[in-house]
Amino acid sequence: MKPFFALVKRDLTLGLRRKSQIYQPLVFQLLVVTMFPLGLGSGAKTLALIAPAVIWILALLASLLTLDQIFKNDYDDGSVESYVLTSYPLSSSVLAKVLAHWLLSGLPLVVFAPVIAVLLHLPSHSYGVLMLSLLIGTPIFSFIGSIGSALTMSLKHGGLLLTVLVMPLLAPVLIFGAGAVVESSLGNSANTHILLLSGMLVLCITLVPFAAAAAIKINLE
Amino acid sequence: MKKQRTNVIVRLYHQLGSPPSFYRISGYFLKWLLLIAIILTGIGLYDGLVLAPADYQQGDSFRIIYIHVPMAWMSMFVYAIMGIAALIAIIWRMKVAEAVLIASAPIGAWFTLITLVTGSLWGKPMWGTWWEWDARMTSELILLFLYIGVMATYTAFNDDSRKAARMAALIAVVGLVNLPIIHFSVKWWSSIHQGTTVSIMGESRITWEMLRPLLTMAVATKFYYGYSMLKRARTYLLETEQQKRWVHDIVEEKKS
Repeated sequence: MKPFFALVKRDLTLGLRRKSQIYQPLVFQLLVVTMFPLGLGSGAKTLALIAPAVIWILALLASLLTLDQIFKNDYDDGSVESYVLTSYPLSSSVLAKVLAHWLLSGLPLVVFAPVIAVLLHLPSHSYGVLMLSLLIGTPIFSFIGSIGSALTMSLKHGGLLLTVLVMPLLAPVLIFGAGAVVESSLGNSANTHILLLSGMLVLCITLVPFAAAAAIKINLE
Repeated sequence: MKKQRTNVIVRLYHQLGSPPSFYRISGYFLKWLLLIAIILTGIGLYDGLVLAPADYQQGDSFRIIYIHVPMAWMSMFVYAIMGIAALIAIIWRMKVAEAVLIASAPIGAWFTLITLVTGSLWGKPMWGTWWEWDARMTSELILLFLYIGVMATYTAFNDDSRKAARMAALIAVVGLVNLPIIHFSVKWWSSIHQGTTVSIMGESRITWEMLRPLLTMAVATKFYYGYSMLKRARTYLLETEQQKRWVHDIVEEKKS
């Protein structure tokens, strides 16, 4: 387990030194959410109606901003090659990279979500479900994104390709994530949605590291 | 020495794995596949558009299913073939599997697009709307995005076609695993799309006169796919193997 935590710690140290990567997605969210009342009118009812979808789509877009960074920097400075060459399994290194990426970009989104929710007049009894669903959903963004990042890391402008590859795969997460918040804002139980999201996360943890590892190996050929 | 006897199927499998013999063997099939596809399409369309009775509710406009439904079946069938080829390309690194994968993607994307367009054309008079966000239409649209993803991955790595093909294979396999999840999660919303009327298990809820052209068209599209895919795969192999001896031989043969 030692190399695993060493890799997470290294990524966190590097990430905390480049703070812009952490707060820029949040600023982006704030900017975009400001545009909604401006374009739609500031009626609290309308905003509350679209709030679950808007918050989730914003989380998705904000994640997309940083997804290509999971392996890009490491590819540029050659660290990816060392992950492949060491005796430590590549899929475990992928897991560490994903965990570090989520801690740096996913977790801030979860913590920041209530601010966006206040701005969009989300009913106060849904805040718990909103944060829980994001807590389960944002790691899936990082997982699926790691496959995309592993595929596009050697490209100069891989950002758009990454979006094209990742977005359709994330549709189910959006359905159940936003669905959970909608259900709870209507006063219903969101259990089914949350459980299905959790199932997807478990599936990602078990399968994605191997797919991303395969992508890295093909990319380095 | 005793002559080694190998199974015909095993031998054919190994032969098809090498680009020159794949090229040679597929050459024999091409015109027959196209011929059968054209004949069956002709029969199917005549049967469907002229002979089949009009629907008691939808009148003549139901006849678009003779294009729409075979295309929809093909959009999924081609993805399955592409996914299997992708798995083979990743595991055994078979060049011909890469060719099949890259050749299938645009064909499948076109089948998907035609499904969406014909469905939309039918939806306007029947449902009163060009587009409805119902489960099957949405998953068909996402299927189109998955095809585009495979094609975009291949074009992005244009400097190294083998690497590009294997990258595309990986994204095709990821899509294949995800497809059921996407399908069932999209199905979550209630749907206004008609339920399935043709089923292999149990009785179909459609008369034989209406079903016959549908099945003819379904077979015809498979032959067309076979033709189109082989044709594209052959071109792909010629292009990627242009440094090889067998390609030069073919070029010389064509010249003389």
